Amino acid sequence: MTNEKLIYIHPAPVRVWHWINAACFVFLVLTGFQIRFAGTLNLMPLKNAIDIHNYVGFVTIANYMIWLCYYFKTGKIKIYFPNFRTFLPRAIKQAQYYGYGIFLGKPNPHTMTPENKFNPLQQKAYAVIMFILIPAQMITGVFLWQVKTYSNYIHQLGGIKMIDTIHIIIFFFFATFMIVHCYLATLGHTPLAHFKAMFTGYEEHHEP
Amino acid sequence: MCWVWPLNLQATENSECMECHSDESLTREGGDEIIMSRISELLFLDEDKFHLSVHHINEITCVDCHADIEELNYDEDIPHKTRLEPVNCTTCHEEEGEAFTQSVHMEIRGKGITMQCYACHGYHYVTRLASASVAERENLFCLKCHNPYNYHDWLPQKKAHFAFVECTVCHAPTVPHHIHLTFFDLVTKEFFTGNEIIETLDIDYHEFMPLIDVNKDNIINTDEFENLILILRQKNIWTEVHAELVVELEPIVHDVIKTDAVNKCEQCHSADSPLFNAVNIVLSLEDGSAEHYEVDRGVLDSFIMSHFSALGGTRVKFLDKLGIAIILGGIAGASGHWFIRLVTSPLRRRKDDENND
Repeated sequence: MTNEKLIYIHPAPVRVWHWINAACFVFLVLTGFQIRFAGTLNLMPLKNAIDIHNYVGFVTIANYMIWLCYYFKTGKIKIYFPNFRTFLPRAIKQAQYYGYGIFLGKPNPHTMTPENKFNPLQQKAYAVIMFILIPAQMITGVFLWQVKTYSNYIHQLGGIKMIDTIHIIIFFFFATFMIVHCYLATLGHTPLAHFKAMFTGYEEHHEP
Repeated sequence: MCWVWPLNLQATENSECMECHSDESLTREGGDEIIMSRISELLFLDEDKFHLSVHHINEITCVDCHADIEELNYDEDIPHKTRLEPVNCTTCHEEEGEAFTQSVHMEIRGKGITMQCYACHGYHYVTRLASASVAERENLFCLKCHNPYNYHDWLPQKKAHFAFVECTVCHAPTVPHHIHLTFFDLVTKEFFTGNEIIETLDIDYHEFMPLIDVNKDNIINTDEFENLILILRQKNIWTEVHAELVVELEPIVHDVIKTDAVNKCEQCHSADSPLFNAVNIVLSLEDGSAEHYEVDRGVLDSFIMSHFSALGGTRVKFLDKLGIAIILGGIAGASGHWFIRLVTSPLRRRKDDENND
């Protein structure tokens, strides 16, 4: 028997940031495909794809800065940083749950609280995404936006092909991430539980 | 370009002209009725510069162009008539003249703007351009009159386009074009001349291809290109390969157009764009000409060309395969996980029922 109650997990700024980011990612990935495969895909003219990609790219950067300021100002940034003594065993336990226990109806070893909303795997994944992959994508994106203006920096980092390669690999990662992220979001108590929570801010709190 | 001159003109050597025209202070004074001032026109000819010109190299003499000089009369202060007729370049350069008449530069004559050949090419110091970079070609010609940033509002990344693509690639689209590959010296920050590369390799120009083209198919492929860079590094040459898109210097390059210039991005920025089919290593010679060595298009896609990447037109195709694999892997993982959940849902229902009981 489980006791369910609603607990406020996602503050409004986080929810707003999340959905703006999600919309931006969709546009960036779609236009990214058009730009990458310009001769093959015909979703839109290449110039339109580039213009949309540039504008949405800057919206994403601004949105990221808002996220960064909010999380540092409120101190919530620490939810991304693991306890190095316990993160490995907890991560293994969480992986075992997702890889086996979930199929047998076993309880999730992680209980979501406002101070600890990410399970160990989420914590590591989102730390890499928010502090490495997104900044790398933003920086390489700005360089690709004006290759001649930033030619000195591009040169220092190994040339335009290196910058392009980093941007493309992270692009493919985020295209995959969106699919996997949407699927993992359905692993709540109900398929739509986590989706509702990202609108209302309230997650269902389960005590085993 | 053959013509017959009267025998007495064959005797007029350049050296006779240079007796006066080598004087740096030689000028013609005149008056301008409109601005009401005296104009001083320099008549000095820099012989050293003239000797580097394509006309001098091809043994064209002064009177070959200034054909209205019938004879030099040394009894007069000025041994020929004081005002010569404008030189008609199309006497020899017929095809260029024909192409020019079709161009936008001919149309502007109707607006009262006269463009003679020398407006772009100058008079006496015309040099070969085969080895000239995009910046040199543009500076010598188009940018004398045009500021490209005043137009091209539709064009993203203007700076990059103007740096890597010669104007006439888009504005004379019928002219064949190719990618120039040149070697940039990372130590001196200048481009290597052909002689420097050839002397480093200790070969002659005609031995370059046999040395590099190992499989003897007359085209340098990616492996052979990488080997060339390795050979240069072994000889202490630290170089970066630069690429630019330039036109072949054919007469029809004078048919410059405005309205129908290339302005659809996909014409260049697509995987099968013909703009990147012809690729050549260019070794520049002292007189401005160049030796060209054909390179396989695939070289543009490799990481050896780390400083050149044209959106869509050249890309590391391996990344596409890697990317598709990543995406399919993610879809497969999510789908597989969902499928197993679907298949095991009776187990979880039974467990819930037991817990409820």
